[in-house]
Amino acid sequence: MIEVEALTKQYGSFTAVRSLSLTVRPGEVLGLVGPNGAGKTTTLRCLAGIIPSTSGSVRIAGHDLASDPVGAKRALAFFPDEPRLFDYLTVRQHLNFVARIYGVADYEERARPLLEELELAEKADVLPGELSRGMKQKLVIACGLLHSPSVMFFDEPLTGLDPLGIRRMKDSIVRRAREGAAVILSSHLLHLLQEVCTNVLILKKGVKVADGTVAEVEAQFSNGEANVSLEEIFIRATGGSES
Amino acid sequence: MFGAFLYLRVTSLRNQVVHRFGRLRQPKYLLGALFAAAYFYYFVIRRVSGVGAAAALTPGTAQTAGMLAAGLICAVLCLIGLVRVAYAWIAPPEKAGLVFTEAEIAFLFPAPVTRRALIHFRLLSTQMAILFSAALITVVFNRGGYLGGHRVLHAVGWWIILSTIDLHVNGTNLMLSRLRERSAHFLLWRVAAVAAIILYVAAVYLAASGLADSFLNGPGGMSAGADRLVRHLHDSAALYWLTLPFRIVLGPYLATGYREFALAFLPALAVVGLHYLWVSGSEARFEEGSIAIAEKRAAMRAAVQRGESPRIGGSKPKALAGPFPLPPRGLPEVAFLWKNLLSLRSAVFGRRTLGIVIGVAVWVYFAMQPLMRGRAASGQGGVLGIAVLTCCAIAAAYTLILGPQIARQDLRNDLPNADLLKTFPLEGWRLALGELLAPTAILTAIIWVTIIGAAAALDPGGALAWLTPVVRGTVVLCLALAAPLLCMIQLIVPNLVMILMPAWYQSSRSRAGGIEMFGQRLLFGVVQLLFAVLVAVPAAGAAVLVYIASYWLLGISTGVVLATVAVVLILAGEAAVGLWFLGERFEKFDLSVDTR
Repeated sequence: MIEVEALTKQYGSFTAVRSLSLTVRPGEVLGLVGPNGAGKTTTLRCLAGIIPSTSGSVRIAGHDLASDPVGAKRALAFFPDEPRLFDYLTVRQHLNFVARIYGVADYEERARPLLEELELAEKADVLPGELSRGMKQKLVIACGLLHSPSVMFFDEPLTGLDPLGIRRMKDSIVRRAREGAAVILSSHLLHLLQEVCTNVLILKKGVKVADGTVAEVEAQFSNGEANVSLEEIFIRATGGSES
Repeated sequence: MFGAFLYLRVTSLRNQVVHRFGRLRQPKYLLGALFAAAYFYYFVIRRVSGVGAAAALTPGTAQTAGMLAAGLICAVLCLIGLVRVAYAWIAPPEKAGLVFTEAEIAFLFPAPVTRRALIHFRLLSTQMAILFSAALITVVFNRGGYLGGHRVLHAVGWWIILSTIDLHVNGTNLMLSRLRERSAHFLLWRVAAVAAIILYVAAVYLAASGLADSFLNGPGGMSAGADRLVRHLHDSAALYWLTLPFRIVLGPYLATGYREFALAFLPALAVVGLHYLWVSGSEARFEEGSIAIAEKRAAMRAAVQRGESPRIGGSKPKALAGPFPLPPRGLPEVAFLWKNLLSLRSAVFGRRTLGIVIGVAVWVYFAMQPLMRGRAASGQGGVLGIAVLTCCAIAAAYTLILGPQIARQDLRNDLPNADLLKTFPLEGWRLALGELLAPTAILTAIIWVTIIGAAAALDPGGALAWLTPVVRGTVVLCLALAAPLLCMIQLIVPNLVMILMPAWYQSSRSRAGGIEMFGQRLLFGVVQLLFAVLVAVPAAGAAVLVYIASYWLLGISTGVVLATVAVVLILAGEAAVGLWFLGERFEKFDLSVDTR
């Protein structure tokens, strides 16, 4: 479960995220959308403990991120938009390393099906430099899923994936949510959110402008019209511009 | 076309200068520039203006020193030139090319410019850099001040040398590229060339054999030895002809007066001219090689800007087995040690690096032989022990001061992955400890070797009665115990600098030149040195006090042990505080903001 109360992040006089509150229960997938510069990535980085928030509270799987960051991080996984890997570790060695960090005793048994699912089994002894961008992304996902996190944050997870990879990623997110994970997914691909997300939160200039199930948000901005696309909902909610 | 090239070069240079001065508005560059200016003034300009040790030499000593220096410089430069040419034949690049930037390739290669014009452009562009290097070398080294001759003539001499080497290497690469394309017997050509080089080296060695002994061990001391050396060089016909090409090129540099310079300049200029004609007339296809070189340089620049370490020799990382098995359960800090040792092995211990290390070690060994024989023959016993002791002490000091700047397999290497590291379920200090374990282990291993070497070399004859084997062993063990803590504390400094001043750190890691960048790097080095002293003072003070208080009652060995306990406790406390602070700052570090 993810519980966020009045999260604020300021950089000097600039407020990137202002008093954001949200809750994501096990089994829910929250789509985080907003124009460029709305504060989506900043929000995710605060929730993942990468950067400290200016004020507010965040609880991850019952652990307060400020007072028990280690406990909170043990339960979460963060998947950034740009895959970051260690140049000198092979695919297998990445999993070995992560297993040691998270104390995953049976990592070899867990890694095998993961590598198969992500089509990395044949590349197990290869360095990241020899992988395509999509495969690097998959390796990041494999590392993040190894310790079976109950909370997951995805920042633009489909960038660089081929159509089959996209299908598999969507299925993977949905399956893990059904298995009880709480997921926040940030993406500009609104059709992805429609297919995968149970809830949507729209951010604009660091402020929440809409939050609820997909149907509730649609109803809020449809002005009574039928069959309004999520793209149209988004444009209406954000005022149609980045400024 | 020449007008367009000149416009490009002059405008780029002007804008570069304006940009450099403009960025002095930023404190990090201004401070670096001021520091570098102070360094240059104190250590270079004051010497050039005559203030310094060189000015204090007597005329006789200056003349001897001058002849020796000239001979040594001559030999070293000839050797460098020969090695460079030999390497080009032994390991020619797959695709030889002239060095163009990506922008030059994008604009000039598709442009209506002849190949010959492109080559002229490239060669003349290089000349600007060579002229600057020649001037800088002249100012910095001042040829010792005692070789005579005007500094401008000296700079011209350097220009001749550097231009010849640059042109010769380019010409060799292009010729090899053409041979590879055109000749079915390329390998035979290379074998023949390498054999010719080996024969040449053998001939020079035979002709010069006995020179070192004649100089070092003959009667009359070093002054007479220098005279014998010069006479031998003049009298030996074999040496005269064998070294003629090199001596023509080095002639202007070694000239001690205007007349000598004038006589030497024209032949040397002719050599440069012939090289220029050779390169500019080359029919070899250089375009693909130039594109490959430009792409490689751009990739390295991009890697450095991302915060990654440029790989030594530009080699690709290799997939290797871990340094030891890493079970999934256990201290997470060990996982970082495992990871960073693995990356070090992959990055550093390639064949080329090992080859360089072995080559340098062999060269040093053989270079030291005549000196050691000479000193031993003149009755200076224990010389080897003193030499080893000195080397060990210097190596230990350099390891502590410079080692942290070189052994970067820690947070500095993982800066691009800072976000990933911060998602790990670890307290900041544990992450910092884990990241520092690998470089600490490396530096500690080097220091342990120096401790053992120094212990073995100190008083091997047993003249010091108090230095019993027990005392010697106790001191070695105690120093070995303190070494890892000292190394770790030294490593905390550059990592803290990176976290506290990431923009400074990023700019210092870039390959950008300029006096302000030099000053920044110098400043970091000075900070490291000051910190080393600051850290050592409390520990050293405690060690002295405890030792003095205890040795007269309990003996030397026990005194040393108790002093070591005090040192270890203090250093451990300092390391703990440093790690906690580093971890705490890293937890608050925001890569996306702090590097703007």
